[in-house]
Amino acid sequence: MREQPLGPELLAIAGKVLREELLPLLPREKHYQALMLANAMAIAARQLAAGDGPAQAELARLQTLLDVSVDSTLTLHDQLLTQNSLLAQTIRARSSTLNAAQLAEHLWQTTCDKARESAPKALDGL
Amino acid sequence: MLTRHQDSLSRFLCRKANAESVQIHECRQLSGGAIQENWLLDMTFDSGPYQGRQALVLRADAPSRVGDSHSRAQEFSLLKAAFAAGVTVPEPLWLGEPEVLGRDFFVMRKAEGSAAGYKLVRDATLGGDKEKLVERIGAEMAKLHRIRPPRDDLSFLSLTSRDPTLQTLDTMRTFLDQHHTPFPALEYGLNWLEDHAPPCAQRVLVHRDFRTGNYMVDNKGLTAILDWEFASFAHPMEDLGWFCARCWRFGQSDISKEAGGIGSRAALYRGYEQQSGSRVDDAAVRYFEVFAHMRWAIIAIKQGERHVSGTEPSLELALTAHIVPELELEILRATRTARFTGEEKSHA
Repeated sequence: MREQPLGPELLAIAGKVLREELLPLLPREKHYQALMLANAMAIAARQLAAGDGPAQAELARLQTLLDVSVDSTLTLHDQLLTQNSLLAQTIRARSSTLNAAQLAEHLWQTTCDKARESAPKALDGL
Repeated sequence: MLTRHQDSLSRFLCRKANAESVQIHECRQLSGGAIQENWLLDMTFDSGPYQGRQALVLRADAPSRVGDSHSRAQEFSLLKAAFAAGVTVPEPLWLGEPEVLGRDFFVMRKAEGSAAGYKLVRDATLGGDKEKLVERIGAEMAKLHRIRPPRDDLSFLSLTSRDPTLQTLDTMRTFLDQHHTPFPALEYGLNWLEDHAPPCAQRVLVHRDFRTGNYMVDNKGLTAILDWEFASFAHPMEDLGWFCARCWRFGQSDISKEAGGIGSRAALYRGYEQQSGSRVDDAAVRYFEVFAHMRWAIIAIKQGERHVSGTEPSLELALTAHIVPELELEILRATRTARFTGEEKSHA
């Protein structure tokens, strides 16, 4: 069993120390860098906490959308790369095989999941 | 960097300023972009037309230059053209020579004030009356847009027979084709942008990065428009679209701050219309707000790639890649609402 506290919690407490204790002591011109540090740690923490969930959901939606099956010899990452490349090409070709409503919903879901990790404030008021 | 070259720089400055000698009091780097470096030069020329104390800025290439931004020499030409047209820019003085610093640069007068976007949107005292500032910005854009091709001094700006908006979309697709990671949401957005592009009746000189953060203000108002390295001949409404784009409002969500996060859209349009004598095409501006998110997304991917590829490990560049999801989100949001379905907001 992995030792606790786990990654997300470690990053959270580290970020707190950075913001509350170190930042006030840094010269003005270093504040931006410290805030970037805190942001980077927060993104990493959210990605860790989310785990594979969003990626699995994305892959499942892609299989339905593109009507293709899983290649279980590939890693999750490589499967997503392959399927997303196919999706990108299919969209570019304006292929009528894509269900417009399903596509819009898939893109929206996937993008929300990404934003939830990279920039959660973007989801406010949507 | 500059202290190593102080001698060759002094000789260069004296030659250009027609002075016998120069005393450099201070030479310090100003906070600037990831693409170029800006150095403040506080000096006194002993003689010649620039005799006396001068506050100048030296602008030089930095390592993380995005491939398709202009060289310093090209930016210098753009500044000269804009200055001559009455646009509020720092007065461009001298183009650098390669042996002086070992990299491209030019020298311009220092403009007073500050460009800090985050501060400007939150500080009521900065920039004078904000509505007047936005109106002034509209007028500046209109003056800039009087510069039209063909121009010998701007011959480095591409002019193809293809519509400039569609040309930009082509370039974005070409980039995505050769990139290691697919972006289906951006492909979707590119299709929408292709379908709804307002035809460009007359190409004009467009700044293409005219946003809060790229212009300087003092307590009274606008003092200088900066960062001309993306300027092109394109659709005039691009500049208004970029300025009003949600991604460039620095978090200001109120409708009274649509223009640059500091003022109203109406004030921007008013300033533009009064100076140009023609009506702003609102539908086109809103199109170019979506276009702006796409352009910024592609730039953000390229900047992130510098870190991801290992070429230039940088926290700032790494975080820039993480801006892409919110840009994609805005593109999807803007293109799914009814009023953007071309038919309604067409070019009537």
